Amino acid sequence: MTIPSPIPRRIAHFDLDTFFVAVERLKDPTLVGQPVLVGGRGPRSVVATASYEARVFGCHSAQPMTQALRLCPQAIVVPPDFASYRTASEGFHAVLREASPLVESVGLDEAYADLTGIGVAADGPREAAEAARRRVRGELGLAVSVGIAGSRTVAKVASDRAKPDGVLDVPVGGDAVFLAPLPLRDLPFLGPRAEERLRAAGVRTLGQLAQLDERWLLATFGSHGLGLARRARGIDPEPVHSDARAAVSVSREVTFGEDVTDLDRLRQVLRAHAEEIGADLRASERRARTVTLKARWPDFTTFTRGATFGQPLQTTEQLSSAGASLLDQLFVQEGRHPVRLIGLGATNLVEDAVQLGFEDGRLLHDQQLDRAIDEIRDRFGNDALWRGLAPRRRWR
Amino acid sequence: MRVACQQDQLHRGLSAVSRAVPARSVLPITQHVLVEADEGRIKLSATDAETIAITYTIPATVAQSGAITMPSRLLSDFVATLPRDEIEMNLAERSRQVSLSCARNAASIGGMDPDEFPPIPPVEGSGAIAIEADRLRQALDHVVFAAATDDSRPVLTGVHFAIGAASIRLAAADGFRLAVYELELPAGAPQEREVIVPARALGELARLLPEAEQPVTMTVNAAQTQVLFDLGHATLVANLIQGTFPNYQQLIPASSATRTEVSVGEFRQETRLASVFARDGSGIVRLTATPGDAGSPGRLLVTARAEEVGNNEGEIDAIIAGEEAKIAFNSRYLIEVLNVITTDRVAIETSSPSAPGVLRPVGDDRYVHVVMPMFVQW
Repeated sequence: MTIPSPIPRRIAHFDLDTFFVAVERLKDPTLVGQPVLVGGRGPRSVVATASYEARVFGCHSAQPMTQALRLCPQAIVVPPDFASYRTASEGFHAVLREASPLVESVGLDEAYADLTGIGVAADGPREAAEAARRRVRGELGLAVSVGIAGSRTVAKVASDRAKPDGVLDVPVGGDAVFLAPLPLRDLPFLGPRAEERLRAAGVRTLGQLAQLDERWLLATFGSHGLGLARRARGIDPEPVHSDARAAVSVSREVTFGEDVTDLDRLRQVLRAHAEEIGADLRASERRARTVTLKARWPDFTTFTRGATFGQPLQTTEQLSSAGASLLDQLFVQEGRHPVRLIGLGATNLVEDAVQLGFEDGRLLHDQQLDRAIDEIRDRFGNDALWRGLAPRRRWR
Repeated sequence: MRVACQQDQLHRGLSAVSRAVPARSVLPITQHVLVEADEGRIKLSATDAETIAITYTIPATVAQSGAITMPSRLLSDFVATLPRDEIEMNLAERSRQVSLSCARNAASIGGMDPDEFPPIPPVEGSGAIAIEADRLRQALDHVVFAAATDDSRPVLTGVHFAIGAASIRLAAADGFRLAVYELELPAGAPQEREVIVPARALGELARLLPEAEQPVTMTVNAAQTQVLFDLGHATLVANLIQGTFPNYQQLIPASSATRTEVSVGEFRQETRLASVFARDGSGIVRLTATPGDAGSPGRLLVTARAEEVGNNEGEIDAIIAGEEAKIAFNSRYLIEVLNVITTDRVAIETSSPSAPGVLRPVGDDRYVHVVMPMFVQW
């Protein structure tokens, strides 16, 4: 009797090539072949995406637009059009969901798909990935690069090396060998600080990182160090989380450069958190029954406070005032302190439905306002507009 | 006190008055029932000393008149379990011990001084109104359930009685729904006035009404602080809720974009089915009304879905006037109103997914029910 060999785990990472630029080129074919920068033109704007033609000149995303234009003055600057990106992104994800039941979106232009056991032949996963690539190209006119490997980490590294418009199928069992010659910065979640420390210790490649002494890693980076080495060996058991299992919470937090004592400032930050959380909830069509506040004093003492509501919340106004009263409550209970970190969270998420009352004119008004703001931001970017924060009226 | 009565009658009386006994109270004697024997009858009384008092009179053979209080729960449970036979009660005045015997059972229950029992105020006023018990009960059934159960706005925990010359308009609302019922008074009312009666008291009154053999008289005292409902064998006194009831007329939409007429029975059945699936998702039931075209009837689609569980879809024939409509309601709100409508058909009037819906029994313009929809993603 022979024991059948286990089906090897195959994870694919799909990443659309210069996504925003590609969508803009579909809208305006004259942009094809030109250096294109998607982003605002304001003095503080940054590049959202640079076409490969612009990258040749040293342009890249997250670069200040002024700097990019200095490097490549002939570049064509296109303002972002998030509504189109969203539509294209939905099409992209729909194709992937037909390729695999287990798809996890990690952004408009990126997703993991678990292709384990797909197809009858050993190269079933690769065929499925190729078929998805052909459909994205044929139906949406977009190029997508794919990395296939035994784990998320390696698949992501592989898709990056497959660009542009390619497939990199790391052979089963070959993950560690594939990673070994690569430079440190290719490993996801390896930050510049860690890279610096490793380089100082003479480590240049992922293969060298994989071989490091665990005690040294533990002493230098804590438990994070062990994780780095493990992933450098291609070991990453993190599964692909199906999008069907929706997020269980949405939260935002910020650590201040300098501790903050001003209550108005703290409320302002909570309000900004509420804006973002509210937009997330609205985009994913959910409401929160529970709002949580997280605050950290300069000595790192950390508090969380929560409030649960009979009617689930969603508007920026509701989230922000819930946060403000939790902060008041915390200060009453613990005394006023300078704040190092403040965060707001929405948990206990439920369907986007709420019982309207006879006196909910205000709620409907706030909902409409939020949606109008969301639409404007989708189209023109997050900085397109902000709520007026007249200090008197805001915190009745 | 020495008295004899029938077990079934005492049991019925105790069940009726015990509804006024508060679950918890700082005043221990309010957990007791006052038993007064006099002139061929036993009068049972209970009160929470706050909003409600109920009395109930049963026939008895009174050998010696007297009065005592006994713990309500203990006495009710004991009497309920006794065989259907004659019960004798003897009070030892000094020790305040009551010995009860029935068939071959005997018990002794410690009582308290009847003078300590909170006095139930006499409600006297001009202008008592006589209302036929069945009609009053029907009116109460239509509105009481719509009153608020939380105290955040006390006036909404009551039912508003607008007493006119020829009718009483009863209204209850809880912020999400409004029920208005026009109760005709063939005998008329001597004085026009408005009072707010606690819904809880009216719920208890509704339970007593089926036994009433004569018209109920409703009396409001001169100070407009209390109301008495006298059923003959039983009385209910309630403290009126002070305050201004919201002007609810403005909550009833004057027009609608769509009028959907369906069978009450079918609509209730489909809503119940949908509510099984709606249980997980805040009870959301979605209604889609599609007008029919030449020859074919319109239809009302009743749907519900439970995330990651499944969904339900039911369809009923409807007569639809106006445009296609979509609206979502809490299933409980729909079922509660459909349970009290006595006509065969009901009309649902809607204007938009976020505007109130109006339910009216077809052919009975005494009743209007307004319910706020749920905001949902379609």
